[in-house]
Amino acid sequence: MDFQAIHDRLRVLRAPGLLGSDEPRPADPKDKHSKGRAGDPFLLVDAQKLVDFLVVCRDDARLSFEILADLSATDPSKDAADLWINVNLLSVRHKHRLAIKCTLAKQQARMPSSVRAYRAAQWAERECGEMFGIEFTGHPDPRNILLPDDWIGAPLRKDYEFPKEYHGISCV
Amino acid sequence: MAQTAPDSKQGASPSMSLDEARVLPSGEREFMLDVRTQDMELNMGPQHPATHGVMRILLRVDGEIVTGAQPHLGYLHRCAEKIGENVEWLQYLPYTDRYDYLSSMNNNLGYSMAVEALMTGLEIPRRAQMLRIICAELNRIGSHLIAYGTYGLDIGAFTPFFYAFREREWMMALFEKICGARLTYSYIRIGGVFNDAPPGWLGEVERFCDVFEQKWVEYYDLLMENHIFVKRTADVGVISREMALDFGLTGPMLRGSGVDWDLRRDMPYSLYGEIWKDGAFKIPVARGEKGSLGDCWDRTWVRVMEMMESIKIVRWCLAHIEPGPIIGDVPKVLRVPTGEAYVGIENPRGELGHYVVSDGGKVAIRVRVRGPSFVNVAVTEALMTGTLLSDAVAIVGSTDVVIGETDR
Repeated sequence: MDFQAIHDRLRVLRAPGLLGSDEPRPADPKDKHSKGRAGDPFLLVDAQKLVDFLVVCRDDARLSFEILADLSATDPSKDAADLWINVNLLSVRHKHRLAIKCTLAKQQARMPSSVRAYRAAQWAERECGEMFGIEFTGHPDPRNILLPDDWIGAPLRKDYEFPKEYHGISCV
Repeated sequence: MAQTAPDSKQGASPSMSLDEARVLPSGEREFMLDVRTQDMELNMGPQHPATHGVMRILLRVDGEIVTGAQPHLGYLHRCAEKIGENVEWLQYLPYTDRYDYLSSMNNNLGYSMAVEALMTGLEIPRRAQMLRIICAELNRIGSHLIAYGTYGLDIGAFTPFFYAFREREWMMALFEKICGARLTYSYIRIGGVFNDAPPGWLGEVERFCDVFEQKWVEYYDLLMENHIFVKRTADVGVISREMALDFGLTGPMLRGSGVDWDLRRDMPYSLYGEIWKDGAFKIPVARGEKGSLGDCWDRTWVRVMEMMESIKIVRWCLAHIEPGPIIGDVPKVLRVPTGEAYVGIENPRGELGHYVVSDGGKVAIRVRVRGPSFVNVAVTEALMTGTLLSDAVAIVGSTDVVIGETDR
């Protein structure tokens, strides 16, 4: 199925948390500030209902997204109030992909874990959580995975300050 | 035995006669009791040869039985994603070489294609596409040779390793001739490739194919049909189809569980769609020949068979390559249009995904790398519990993990 058909199917299913879609568009010639957007189309989903949304995507026979290809986050800029949660699903049976984006307030970066839908989310969320300071509630094993357990700060946030030293090792 | 471990939970009592001990009420047999003693925590790694890098697996063992396994990563973390947000688009390319250092060509290709997905209107010349595929497939052979050789090494077969490295040496010499580097190539650039094949290079690739096809038969017989190897890998570390999909496994790990999925055929990129339509290559999918479907033998078999398919793809390219430009129209200072794209390609280890976000500037907002090793190694946590300690080594080896990629 193409992106439009997937979106329509999810609307018919009344998938929880589906907010809308965003598709690539050329720059508007009348508006000088509009730059347009290139790349993939994606669906916008409520972060707090993401796991229920993923369960629908996984279980519906016409969508049948068996694989959670990727789950990560993006900090768009230093001044932005929200983080993005980027999810990419893959269907082996129907040979289609779906990109999903959620927004999550930086001030209160907390959302339910998606491990209930895909076990692949377990390590992805551990990495995403430590790098962006997101708390995934209900995660079975929320330890750091790449960073040491006592690391301070969320390194992939744009306002991250590099440490001066770590356990007596100079980082400057 | 129970006598040496007073705090043992289970153990044959010293007074028990042999006949009584043979089958227990729980259904367990005596020899399994013999190998149980007491709980012990054992570090496999960070410097263990079977982890192929610096990964530590904290094993909880009860005698010879593994009762819990916890992989600890991060010893090789080099902040690749953070670096991606701090250097220019073209400057990031050499860093892609360094996450999965055994398949750098494929990493270059994945990153370049992700950036190209945002640059609408950029044409990649056909000769560049051909050179890209030749290099990516040769690199796949080299990567699978390492997987094959070191996996034999892990479980005690020393000889295949030397055979595998002999051919890999030739492959690296070919790469040295075309781009000057043996391991970290940075050959595939955004828009094409940076250097045309030197005179005589394509002929030498063809000779490599001729020789490799003969050697491959030896490889297959040497390890895959080896009785000891089959005993060590068949029925060990079985991943069911459902489990493989649930854990998001890709590449040989997924095909080893009997799922017929390859991005080169199912979501074709570059010229793979055309090559597939020509019937030039097949996708080997495991059938559980030596044991259960999805065991360590099946995964290794998929890798070994894929080497031959790569040779066929290289041959197709050699037959169809024509002179022409090798790089599209890419400015020296690259400004990538606003947008975001996820591009996944079939790396030797699975789906290598790059998710890139641009705001129209010289520097990326986000470069996310979905490394297949990182996802694939997660399954070991679930697989190892309940196996014998020596099988734990066989399981880690069969995931073909490259630590440079799990940690990035």
